Amino acid sequence: MKTKCIHNDLIFYLDNELSVEKRTAVEKHIEECADCRSFLAFLQDGMQIIEKEKNPEVTPFFYTRLSARLDEKQVYQTQSQWSRLAQPAFFSLVLLAGIYGGLKLGSNASSPEVNQPATTSIQMLNDFAAEPIESFLLDEL
Amino acid sequence: MDEAKLIEGIQQGDRKSFQILVETYQRMVVNTCLGIVHSKDDAEDLAQDVFMEIFRTAENFRGDAKLSTWLYRIATNRSLNHIRNNKRKRFFQSIEETFTGGRNRPSEISENRADQPDQNITDQQRSDLLHRAIDRLPEKQRIAFTLNKYEELPYQQIAEIMEISLASVESLIHRAKKNLQEQLLDCYKKKCV
Ligand SMILES: [Zn+2]
Repeated sequence: MKTKCIHNDLIFYLDNELSVEKRTAVEKHIEECADCRSFLAFLQDGMQIIEKEKNPEVTPFFYTRLSARLDEKQVYQTQSQWSRLAQPAFFSLVLLAGIYGGLKLGSNASSPEVNQPATTSIQMLNDFAAEPIESFLLDEL
Repeated sequence: MDEAKLIEGIQQGDRKSFQILVETYQRMVVNTCLGIVHSKDDAEDLAQDVFMEIFRTAENFRGDAKLSTWLYRIATNRSLNHIRNNKRKRFFQSIEETFTGGRNRPSEISENRADQPDQNITDQQRSDLLHRAIDRLPEKQRIAFTLNKYEELPYQQIAEIMEISLASVESLIHRAKKNLQEQLLDCYKKKCV
């Protein structure tokens, strides 16, 4: 009488991971069952792909390419190091120039000649404030 | 040259030490990536990234793990990330195609060819089938299986690389093989190649 099909043991049979009894049973079954025999061959061919494709020849330029990438990176890094230093320096200069300009303007504003126009502008602002906000908004429309 | 000296050299930015390291381990790294991504070109690109990372982070390397362990970890991580990104890209491509009415890509598995004898199965079809089956394994099973089958590493070393117990490695590889066998049996029954 034919024994039960053993499809589920075959991958372990191929990898020689079955106990002696199980192994004997599988071998006995394969002899009498064409379907299991055929699946075993199918499975073996499939798993054999790994043996065929593994450890491919690595391209001879592998390190050359890597080395070029490292060079590129280092050039970029020196550049970005420069910009890391140059950028804050530039913005500090702009800031200092701004502060200096502000002080300069401030000291000018306190001088009598510029006092006059400043007052008129304040008056204008006051006129603006006197106008009711509703009419201002309506004008906008 | 021993590992510690090599690492020390790289930590000081010595290119010669780096070259020796690369040439010693490039086959191993490319092969590990290949087991996961299945394309030699992609595997070499990924291996390049692995070594760039090694050069960049050499100062973090402490002597308590083997150099190969470190390389295997980076290689498997990067390969899995590559697969995840590809999946994401394909997902968005398929959405785009849905909206732009793009051409339907041919289904991944070739149609039932039950009337053809098995001898006509080419190596290409076989390898497509196997790769697809490997891709469907959960990530941990895939790593353990790849390290065991492509790199022929003993379970103990795989346990160190994956930072899990020996029993877990045994179980992962056992399940991986069972899964692969089921998928291949399914295909065999349906004559999918
Ligand atoms: Zn049978």
